[in-house]
Amino acid sequence: MEQREFLKIIHAFRRRMNLADFFKKSVFALSVGAGVGILFQATALFVPFYDANFYMILAFLFAEASVIVAMLVKRTTMEQVALRMDGFGFEERIVTAYEHLGKEGTFVGLQRADALRQLREHKDRIRIPLMPPIPKMGLLLLLLVASVGLALLPSGAKDRAAQLQSIREEAHEKEDEIEEIMEALEQLAQEELTEEQQDALREMTESLASSLSEYQQADSKQALTAASQKLNYKYEDMSSRLSDIIQDLQAGAGVSVVSADAMQEMADKLKNLSDMRQARNDGSGTGQSGSGDGNGQGQSGNGNGNGQGQGGSGDGNGQGQDGSGDGNGQGQGGSGDGNGQGQGQDGKGNGQGQNGQGDGSGGGRGDGSSSAPHDYVSIPNAIADSGNLTGNVDSHDNSEYFRAQNGLNWEGEHTSYEAAIGSYEQNAYEGIAAGRYPSGMEDIIKEYFSSFNQ
Amino acid sequence: MAELDRSRFGEPAYMAQRVAACEREIQKGIIGQRQIIRQVMLAMLTGGNVLLEGMPGLGKTRLVSTIGKVFDLSFKRIQFTPDLMPSDVTGTNIIIKNEQGSSFSFERGPVFANLILADEINRATPKTQSALLEAMQEHTVTVGNVSHVLAEPFFVLATQNPIENEGTYPLPEAQLDRFMFKLLVRFPGREELKGIVALTEGNREPVIEKMMDGEGLLAARALVSQVPIADAVMDYLLEIVMETHVPNPHIREGASPRAAQALIRAARAKAFLEGRFNVSFQDVREVAYPVLRHRIIPGFDAISAGITEDDIITRILEAKTAMTGR
Repeated sequence: MEQREFLKIIHAFRRRMNLADFFKKSVFALSVGAGVGILFQATALFVPFYDANFYMILAFLFAEASVIVAMLVKRTTMEQVALRMDGFGFEERIVTAYEHLGKEGTFVGLQRADALRQLREHKDRIRIPLMPPIPKMGLLLLLLVASVGLALLPSGAKDRAAQLQSIREEAHEKEDEIEEIMEALEQLAQEELTEEQQDALREMTESLASSLSEYQQADSKQALTAASQKLNYKYEDMSSRLSDIIQDLQAGAGVSVVSADAMQEMADKLKNLSDMRQARNDGSGTGQSGSGDGNGQGQSGNGNGNGQGQGGSGDGNGQGQDGSGDGNGQGQGGSGDGNGQGQGQDGKGNGQGQNGQGDGSGGGRGDGSSSAPHDYVSIPNAIADSGNLTGNVDSHDNSEYFRAQNGLNWEGEHTSYEAAIGSYEQNAYEGIAAGRYPSGMEDIIKEYFSSFNQ
Repeated sequence: MAELDRSRFGEPAYMAQRVAACEREIQKGIIGQRQIIRQVMLAMLTGGNVLLEGMPGLGKTRLVSTIGKVFDLSFKRIQFTPDLMPSDVTGTNIIIKNEQGSSFSFERGPVFANLILADEINRATPKTQSALLEAMQEHTVTVGNVSHVLAEPFFVLATQNPIENEGTYPLPEAQLDRFMFKLLVRFPGREELKGIVALTEGNREPVIEKMMDGEGLLAARALVSQVPIADAVMDYLLEIVMETHVPNPHIREGASPRAAQALIRAARAKAFLEGRFNVSFQDVREVAYPVLRHRIIPGFDAISAGITEDDIITRILEAKTAMTGR
């Protein structure tokens, strides 16, 4: 009976002590969580950190969760409770009695009775406050207010973070879409295709992988739009190429119905995606490449022309990749102004010089109003890409040394400055016609080369 | 005080009351020095011996004789001098001639008593000191090939003068370890001195009554050894002893395992004397000083900085309190 009463008292205090410990630890943990939250929020004021609020809440939750886990794992034991109760002037009577519960003996019995008597008489001495000390609560409150205050404080970095987040979300959607298409492409029955067709499919996959990478790296609205336009063009192109492959296959009758259907389905899907984007772009008005007059460039000559966006039509004179138009061209071998007509990337136009007539060829591409996509994929120039030349890039030895090193007998050849510039210019204009350069760069490139002709 | 009831020797509460009454009775004969009286009582309750360090004239002999009266025990005082021989302490075999012829007979020395006051123990040679130390540790005296068992209870209270070191033989650490307590007898305060003068120079000597006997003391000892001790208190006590072995520039050598045993026994005795049936942290803290101060050998740093053994013990206890909150 005595033992039961004794244990009951200790149990009651244990519950209270656990609760008090929980509150005490919670205040501490939440203070730490608030401190971490303040750190996140302060960082978000200066550095784009969209998830600061989420991480702050996570810090609070983690702090409280650790308290709960700690309380479950390290609950106050009965001995600890007894010892703590002894701290209120019981001179270790309670813990001694608790440890000797169930044991018999004169001294043990006397000791237990003494402990219980003391406990009955002086139970009110034991004061275990549930609430943590007020200064600690105050500190927690202060930290909470500070963290919430910082979370509400506007800043440029926060706006930038929000913008970046919206870009990332959009990019993620596209990434998922691309991955889905890549997966579908890989699942097409490639064993039934010719090597050429397989290469075409591989090329499509690689092209999509490149777009995926662009989306992953997109950190601005402009980059995202550019990537979208490229992707749109790629979809359209891929749809067309897939249709061609299907036609080839059907003509050759060497493919199963299932594969042909799958390809057709893929082509339709890509077409739909492309159309969807196009519709979205039309709806928004002007295409990425803008509108205006452009200077067109013939493949083997240069000329000024009013150009039109790739694949679109507009009020300009010039020629898009798939369109036609008038352009003013200047033949490489002639001089004077002429009216030329160029067509497509590799198209030709006739130009008439002011002081004569000559043939000029040129493909025009300029800034134009367009709702159609452009492929702005830039490819690395092939300059100095000889597999025969090897050497240490850090070394500043001259080319003769390298020739000797590589056993090359070719001494090189001299070319005129004009020819070199002309060659570069030709490459540049070809790139513009092919849409290899980012939007807005065409004028800069043209102005650069025009400056040499003045 | 009522007559000693032998039938109640097994009752802890009764015995605790009697022992407490003994303490009060001793205090009637000794003015002040309450802490010394308490600690001597603790040593008696645990069967330990005490080394008292203090100036002459502080009432050491009076304390022992009073204890002897209160506990009704035989009391002998041995003044240790450099020419004191072991046989002067233990006794010796002497030739006795009678009608049957001559034979050896063992003549008991002063050590054959319940209470021994070994005054200025450090003045005797190590050989003589050892003779007493055997009696203290084993409670036997060996003369020739015969070991003589000493009567129980046997209690030695040795004294040494802290300032006159010339011509003395300081007790080696191993022998100091055999004393349960080393007590520092401090000079009394003004009021205490006034009381002492009034007591000793007055016309009336206080009447010291017998409150217990040797049998009762042994019964009390048996009860003391049963006082329960909680694991936490035991751990605390052991940690204190272990702490003296932690590398510390102030400690050259830490306390021996005997220190732990003495701490447990003394803490139990203190609880018993206070009428409590369990050992508290405070009991351990209070007995730590007399138990450990002669078992810790201070290092050079401590000696040069004037840090005493008591200071070292205080630091250990404070460090424990800071760590555990006890």
